[in-house]
Amino acid sequence: MITYIIRRTLYMIPLLLIVSLLSFTLIKIMPGDYLTAARLNPQITQETLQRQIERYGLDKPFIIQYALWLKNIIVHGDFGFSFATKQPVFRNLFEGGRLFWTIVLALSTLILTWIFAIPLGIYSATHQYKPSDHALTFFGFLGLSIPNFFLALVLLWLLVVVFHVGGRGLGVGGLYDSRFLNAPMSWAKFVNLIWHLWPAWLVIGTSGMAGLIRLMRGSLLDTLSQPYVQTARSKGLAERVVVYKHAVRNAINPLVTVLGLTLPNLVSGSIVVAIVLNLPTVGRAYFSALQQQDEPVVMGSLLFFSLFLLIGNLLADFLLAWVDPRIRYD
Amino acid sequence: MKKLALLLAGLLAIAAPALVLAQGYDVMPEDARILPIGQAGTPYADLELGKQGGTIYISQISNPKGWNANTAHETSTTWYTSRMNLGLVNLDHITGAIVPDLAKSWDVSEDGLTLTFHLRRGIKWSDGTPITADDVLFSYNDVVLNTDVDCNSYDGQRLPDGTFPVMTKVDDYTIEVKLSVVYRPILNSIGVPVQPKHKLAQYVHKLNPDVPAGTFNETWTLDTPVSELVGNGPWVVTDYKPDVSVTMTRNPYYYAYDPAGTQLPYYDEIVCLVVANQDVSLLKFRNKEIDVLAIRPEDLPVLMPEAGAKGYTVLVSDLPLYGTTWFMPNQDIGLADGTQNEKRELYRNVKFREALAHLIDKETMIQNVLNGLGAPQWSPLSMGSPFYAGRDYYGGPVTENNAIIFEYDPAKAAGILDSLGVVDKDGDGWRDLPSGAPLTIEINTNDNTIRSGYCLILQDDFRAVGLNATFQVIDFNTLVDKLFSSTGDIIQLGLTGGDEPNSGKNVYHSCGSLHAYRYSACDDPDEIDRRIDELLDLGASTFNLDEAFEYYVEYQQLLAKQLGYIYLVNQTFQYAYYDYVGNAGAASPTSTPGGNNGLLTELCFDKRI
Repeated sequence: MITYIIRRTLYMIPLLLIVSLLSFTLIKIMPGDYLTAARLNPQITQETLQRQIERYGLDKPFIIQYALWLKNIIVHGDFGFSFATKQPVFRNLFEGGRLFWTIVLALSTLILTWIFAIPLGIYSATHQYKPSDHALTFFGFLGLSIPNFFLALVLLWLLVVVFHVGGRGLGVGGLYDSRFLNAPMSWAKFVNLIWHLWPAWLVIGTSGMAGLIRLMRGSLLDTLSQPYVQTARSKGLAERVVVYKHAVRNAINPLVTVLGLTLPNLVSGSIVVAIVLNLPTVGRAYFSALQQQDEPVVMGSLLFFSLFLLIGNLLADFLLAWVDPRIRYD
Repeated sequence: MKKLALLLAGLLAIAAPALVLAQGYDVMPEDARILPIGQAGTPYADLELGKQGGTIYISQISNPKGWNANTAHETSTTWYTSRMNLGLVNLDHITGAIVPDLAKSWDVSEDGLTLTFHLRRGIKWSDGTPITADDVLFSYNDVVLNTDVDCNSYDGQRLPDGTFPVMTKVDDYTIEVKLSVVYRPILNSIGVPVQPKHKLAQYVHKLNPDVPAGTFNETWTLDTPVSELVGNGPWVVTDYKPDVSVTMTRNPYYYAYDPAGTQLPYYDEIVCLVVANQDVSLLKFRNKEIDVLAIRPEDLPVLMPEAGAKGYTVLVSDLPLYGTTWFMPNQDIGLADGTQNEKRELYRNVKFREALAHLIDKETMIQNVLNGLGAPQWSPLSMGSPFYAGRDYYGGPVTENNAIIFEYDPAKAAGILDSLGVVDKDGDGWRDLPSGAPLTIEINTNDNTIRSGYCLILQDDFRAVGLNATFQVIDFNTLVDKLFSSTGDIIQLGLTGGDEPNSGKNVYHSCGSLHAYRYSACDDPDEIDRRIDELLDLGASTFNLDEAFEYYVEYQQLLAKQLGYIYLVNQTFQYAYYDYVGNAGAASPTSTPGGNNGLLTELCFDKRI
C-alpha cells in the first residue's frame, strides 16, 4: 500500500509538468498580455513601455520564458512574483486567509451536501417511483440546472428586496457584516458568519446534491436487487436493518470515489459563487489574475488546482481500498 | 500577576482593532490650507460645514495592488494612494483648476522658465515627522525621474525639447524648478505624490547602493504591514483584508481645515468594501450597507423611482463626466499589405466621414443606453475642462458658440454618399464602392454593455441608409491589438479625459502613439495635421491662459472637422448616495465614469452626528 502511494505521488511530478506546459502555452496564445491595457494609456511612451516589457521578461521567446520559470521553481523554489502586486505568487494567492476560507468553504459544503444527499438518496431508493421520489429528483435537477451565479444573485435579491434583511441589521455578501469586520471573534460574530455562509452552502450544495442523490439511489437500488439482500429479508430481519446495516454499506462504495473527487471540484468550481457572494477564496485571486493576464499568478494557481485534483484522486483511490476489502493495490 | 498581565497584553494585541494613530497638531498650523466651505462668493458656497466623526462605507470592484503611490499603475490602487500622498499642486475639489496643495503658493518668473514653490511651514507626516523640501526633491528627482523606478508619471515630466525640469532646493521650504522651454502643462504633471524620504530613501538604489536596483518597485507592496505606511494626505490606510475591505483613517496631521477651524476630513474612517460583482453592490446599497454607490446605466431604472422615498439621491451633473467615447474608421486599413485600397481611399475622404457623422443618433444613444442621463460630445476635450471650446473664454460658462456639430441627418448622409459614388450598383440593396466592388463595414468593440449599446445603434443607423455594416464584439486585448496594428475596420472605444488639452498630445499629434486613426500621418502630415501639431505646441508654450484658450479653440474645431475619432456621448449621472451623507451632492468635476471617483471624501460628513 505504501509503495502504491509513493508511486502515485511520484507520478504527480510528470503530470504537473505537462499541465504547466499546457497552461503556459494557453496563456501565451491568448491575445495581448499584462501590459496591453497600459498601451492605451496616453501618458506612457514606447520607451517606458519597452522598459516594462523587459522588466517582466515578456520580450523573451516562449520557450525561454517557460524554461526560466521552471528553473526558478526547481533550483530556487521560487514560483515567481505577481506582475500586478509584486508579491510572491503563493502569498498573493493565499494572503488574507484565502486558503483557509477556501478549505473551510469546500469542507463545510462537502459535509453538508453529504449529510443531506445520502439520506435523501436512500429515501429515494426505498420509495422508488413514488411521488416523493419524483419530487426529490425534480428538485435535485432544478438545483443542478439553474446556473450558480444566477441562483446566488436571486437569493441575495430575495433577502434584500423581499425580506428586507437590511431592516433587521443583517447584511448580504462577504463573510461578516460591516460592524464585525474589525471586531474580535465572539459568539455574535460567529453567528453572523453562518448567516453569510448559508447562501453559499445552498447554492454550491444544490448543484452537487442532484448528482449524489441519483448516484446513491441507483447504487442502492442495484444493491437491493442482490440475492444476499433477499436472503437477509427471508431470514426475518427488519427492513430497516436490511437497508442500513447491509445494503447501504455496500451501496456507498462508488460514492466514496466521488468523495475524493468532489473536494478539488469544490475548490476550483466555486469561483463564480465566491465572486458573487464576495467570499475571499483562492479562486477569486485566480480570476482576477486571469483578467489582468498576470501570468505568474495564473501559473501558480493552475499548479495549485492541479495538485489538489491529483491529491483528490489519490484520496479517492485510497478510500476505495480502505472501504472495499476486495480492492488491493500492489 | 505577571502571568495575568502578559495574558492581557497578549489578548489585547490579538483583539486590538484597527491602528490607533497619533494625536495630531496642538494648534492649527499657520500655513494650513483653508477650504472655504460654506462661504458665499466662493465655488464652495453650496457646501455645509460639518462635524468630525462617523464612518462612511463605499464599495470598490477590485483589490488595491499595492500602497506605493509612485509605482501604482491602476485606479484600484491610486484611489487609495492619491488620498495618502499629495503633491505640490492638485486639482481643486469643486472647480478642477490647479491649486496649491502641499505648496502654499508658487511664482512664475518673467520669462516663464523658472517656477518657485513655497511649501507650507509646520506641516507633518502622519507619523509626526516634519514635511520639508527634502521629501519633495526625493519624490521628484529620486523616484519619478529615476528610470529604475517603474513610474507612470515619468513621461509626463518630459518637456517638448526632450529634456526634463530641473528641481533644486533653495531652502527647507522653498523649491525651484527650471525649465528649458516655456511649458504650461508642467503644472499638471509636477504635482506627483510626495512620499516620505525618511521612510523610503533606503529602498532606492541610487541613494542606498546596498540595495539592488529596482528595489523601490517592491516597496510598500501589499505585504507591507499597514502600520508602516506614512502619508501627508487626508487619509492613511490602517487596515487591509484582501477581497474583503480596506479601511482608511483620518490622518491626524492633515493640514486642511474648514473656516470654522475643524480639521478635515470630517469622517473618522472610510471603509471600502471590496465587492466584485456590481449587482451585489447595488443590493448592498439598497440594504443600507453602503452609503454611496457608483452606478451603471442599468441601475438607474431600479434606483430612480425609489430615490426620495428610500432616503437616497441619484446625483446627476450638468456636464458629462470626464472621458470620451468615439468610433474610428481606420484610415490606414489595408496599408500594411497593400489591400483594400479603394476602401482606404474612401475612409480617408473627409466627406465620407462626415456622412458617417451625420448618421450618429446621439439622442437615441442617450435615451436607450444611458437612460436619458447623458450629453452629446463633439470635442476631444472633456466638457468639464476650462479649455473646452464650448465655452467663450477660459473657465467661462458653456454656450456652445464655437461648437462644430454634425447633426443627425440620415437624408443628408445619403446625399453625401450618393455624391461620392457610394451607391448600390449590383442591386443587392447595399451601397457599393465607387468602382462597384461591394462595401462591407465591420464595427468592433469589446464586451461592455454600454459600448455594445452604442454600436448596435450605429449599426442600425448605417444599415438604414444602405451601408452594409455589422457589429461584432471581440475580446478587449484583440481589440487593442487591432487598434495598434491598424488592422481594424471601425473600432469603437473610449479614452480617459482631463482638464489639460496637452495630455491628449499622444492621441492627436500626428506622430502620437495613440494616433490610431492614421499612424501614416506621421510620415506624411497634411496641412491640417501640421496645424494641429503646431497648435498643441503653441498652447503649451504660454502661461497666459486666455491666449492658450484661443489656440485650443482652433485646435478642437480642427479636430472636430477632421473627424479622426468621431465622438459619441457621455454619461452625466455620477453616483447614488444616502441623504445623511452631507456634501455628497457636490461631486468632483474631474470624475470619470465607473468607480467612486467623483465622491469628495474629504468634504463629506455624517449628518446624523
